[in-house]
Amino acid sequence: MNNDNYWIILLGMSCITFSCRYLFLSKQLPFELGTKAKSILSYTAPSVLTAMWVPIVFLSESNIEQSFFTNPFLIAGLVCVFLSLKLKNTFLIVVLSMSIFLILRLI
Amino acid sequence: MSNRSITVNRGIQQEKMQIIYQATMDVLPLAIAVIPWGILCGSLAIKVGLSPLQAQLMSLLVFAGAAQLASLTLMGGALTSIFTSTFVISSRHLLYSAVFREHVKKSSFLMRCCIAFFLTDEMFAVTCAYLEKNKLFSHCYALTAGVVFYLVWNFSTFAGIHIGQFIPNIENMGLEFAIAATFIAIVIPSIKNKSTLLSVVVSGVSVLIFSILGCEYALILATLIGMLSGFLVEMLCVKTVEEFVNE
Repeated sequence: MNNDNYWIILLGMSCITFSCRYLFLSKQLPFELGTKAKSILSYTAPSVLTAMWVPIVFLSESNIEQSFFTNPFLIAGLVCVFLSLKLKNTFLIVVLSMSIFLILRLI
Repeated sequence: MSNRSITVNRGIQQEKMQIIYQATMDVLPLAIAVIPWGILCGSLAIKVGLSPLQAQLMSLLVFAGAAQLASLTLMGGALTSIFTSTFVISSRHLLYSAVFREHVKKSSFLMRCCIAFFLTDEMFAVTCAYLEKNKLFSHCYALTAGVVFYLVWNFSTFAGIHIGQFIPNIENMGLEFAIAATFIAIVIPSIKNKSTLLSVVVSGVSVLIFSILGCEYALILATLIGMLSGFLVEMLCVKTVEEFVNE
């Protein structure tokens, strides 16, 4: 590949990712978030994290031939949802459901 | 007097150490889960013809797993398609910076730059969980989580670059389940009212529909739809209560 091209890609990508992360932290953007905007933004974390975990749990394919319902991702994922309703310790929930996932994978 | 200030200082330092420890422990499962992807990023970069320095610089400067992997598969294609895909994948970070705005608006330029540079999904996730639990935004917590994640990401890229060909396909091990588990453990306890529940359900259902349809923008679209539906239900509920009070 053309070497100059690569440096342009690297620079361009760095600028794009940093700008997206920095834009609303900037003081040059002179605006105050209204109550409505704040209220919409309060749903960011639950929505975006769900949009990331749901495909892993429901759409991951395991390498062994398995039906949708016996997929370790699905079973361990649902167990994890259940554990999250019962337990308070996040780390414990992750360790427990990860262990269940690995056991199901080995069976 | 000086004795007392030393004690106070020590107290503050101890508290800081505790926050650093807490942040490290919270982000660790997520950091471990991305090791296979870091290795993949490193070895793929070498395969498509980047030098080891260029491959490492990508993780050091861009520091965005999904965008890096997408760009590597597009290498050799048009610059615009690489930049468009980077922007689409990074667009969710605009939301994160908007969420953090009110918490860091009084911080220095350098601090805001650091928070922005280390702002990833994983850092956002644990920082939001900390914020909700303690009702307090901690710069120290956010930065620690970001830096720990950054180090793990770059060391795994380094491993991918230099010994990638000796490492079997560990991206098939299913380590990404740890990401799902952590996000579930953060999201589920945060559901405290109907509107949040709805935003979670709507976002989950729509991401499934968009992904099955093969839509490139599935993640960001589902996020926006989920946020909007939570907000609309909240507005409707407030309205009903107001009408009830007025009557």
